[in-house]
Amino acid sequence: MGIGRALALLFYLLLVILPVYWMIITSFKTSNEIVNTQRITYWPENFTFEHYQQLFKTMHYGIYLRNSLIVAVSVAIVVTLLSIYGGYALARFQFRGKGAALVFFLITQMIPAILVIIPMYIVFSRVKLVDTLTSLFLFYSITNLPFCVITMRSFFERIPYALEEAAYVDGCSRTQTLWKIVLPVMFPGIVADFVFAFIGAWNELIAAVIFLNSQQRWTIPVGLKSLIGKYNVDWGSMMAGGCLALLPTAIMFVFVQKYIVEGLTAGAVKG
Amino acid sequence: MCSKSSGFKISPETKRKLTPYFYIAPVIILLLFMYGYPLIKSIWMSFMDYKLTRLNKSSWNNFQNYTKMFMDDNFWLLLKNSLIYVIVSVAGQFLLGLGLAMALNKKFKGRGLYQSIVFLPWAFSSFVVGLLFRWSFNGEYGVVNDLLKKAGLITKGISWLGTPGLSLMVIIFAMIWVGIPFFGIMILAALQSVPDEVYEAADMDGCGKVRRFFLLTLPYIKPTIIMTVLLRFIWIFNSFDLVIIVTGGGPANYSQTLPSYIYTQAFSSYDFGLAGAFGVLLIFILTIYAVIFLTLTKYDKAGDF
Repeated sequence: MGIGRALALLFYLLLVILPVYWMIITSFKTSNEIVNTQRITYWPENFTFEHYQQLFKTMHYGIYLRNSLIVAVSVAIVVTLLSIYGGYALARFQFRGKGAALVFFLITQMIPAILVIIPMYIVFSRVKLVDTLTSLFLFYSITNLPFCVITMRSFFERIPYALEEAAYVDGCSRTQTLWKIVLPVMFPGIVADFVFAFIGAWNELIAAVIFLNSQQRWTIPVGLKSLIGKYNVDWGSMMAGGCLALLPTAIMFVFVQKYIVEGLTAGAVKG
Repeated sequence: MCSKSSGFKISPETKRKLTPYFYIAPVIILLLFMYGYPLIKSIWMSFMDYKLTRLNKSSWNNFQNYTKMFMDDNFWLLLKNSLIYVIVSVAGQFLLGLGLAMALNKKFKGRGLYQSIVFLPWAFSSFVVGLLFRWSFNGEYGVVNDLLKKAGLITKGISWLGTPGLSLMVIIFAMIWVGIPFFGIMILAALQSVPDEVYEAADMDGCGKVRRFFLLTLPYIKPTIIMTVLLRFIWIFNSFDLVIIVTGGGPANYSQTLPSYIYTQAFSSYDFGLAGAFGVLLIFILTIYAVIFLTLTKYDKAGDF
């Protein structure tokens, strides 16, 4: 390995590790140590779990965690299922309106979230959906759908068509072929899309702040945002909350990132 | 292994033609309904005197929202900030992501583990990233000032978030940081799709490394680059959670962008008509951008990766 490439790899590694390191150690410092302007410590002098304890005791972090999980999992399941069919249609068929559909997906991306959120809020308040997890489920489903359909299409296009032809010869229908022949090979792509949608729903803040009022319904980002006071921020709890919020998505991503690259690489699946 | 299903008798030809529509219909209907209605409603609101505080008295107001928008004292500052924010962020993410993808393109020991660390920011919410950067760049207790002092570069702490110009830069840093993996992954996948034979032929022709990159690699990954830059530009231009979290637009709107301004305005004055006018402006800017960008890059397959 050339020295230039080694240095580049080291640079990118530090770029990610240093901020994350800072977040983790801040979460284990005592409040006094965090706001000591005289001396900034690079390792906690008095290791403490007080911020984590506080999150669960006074902040109902467990409830936020449950709400976030419910929303993110249901969004991920629905978006993945819809993307499988939509992506398959775009990858395997030539049909009238296909170009228009692709342009339509692009246009949905251009619409500022706030233009969707405000009218939705007005409608939701009429049908009594404000302050429910359903409102978030609906909003996150449509915001994550276009990107997931497009990537799913790319995943399908990387799979040789010959695989399916054999199944048709055996008398399988389209839907049967899709489920029995194509999807098992597509596993990396499906997992990747599931994770895209999960992460998208898990991390969103703005719509959640607007749609949800009562603390019982809050998701993790809303709960964390409530820690930002008007004049100061409880940095210890913030960083602890950030670590807890990251844990599920980070673990998922560690396992899934290679599937994304694999799924998007042409010729990874041999026919 | 598959059994023929009985049921409706439709000719195979018709069935083959209708299948793609059945498959894609749920997606299209859902999106049309859930994006279409709000969009039309927003455009309608932008021409009305429409305030949440008195919904029943909304009335046509003679383009007043648009006049108000262009006459806003902050308008040009917001536009300038938005453009700096989106252009510098996209350029930074793209160049660093390209560099990362190229560094990863050859196998080395531990590449799997390495990838799962450097791609991690994709999993971060911009909310947490915003907090982390706000904390690190804190003027009093921030680690960035401390490191710069230790390195002997500064003697007094810099008020990063309180200085016009610098506060927007911190937001851009955060945005670049969180977006590198997106470009890294997409471009890496494209690089790995380049067939080996292409490079073998180039080696036989005695092609240098730099020429090889510009003549062979770049054209091959061009579609990916175009689509990722296009999408990312649109996403970043419309995103404002980092602005809200890191600086709240401060000091005095010096790091405020158009979308974050809409958000603050809409939910402090509840003037949804004005917010609608700003939103229409954003769509207008992005449409012009997309058309120019796709024309310049001679790209006609929108939606392809």
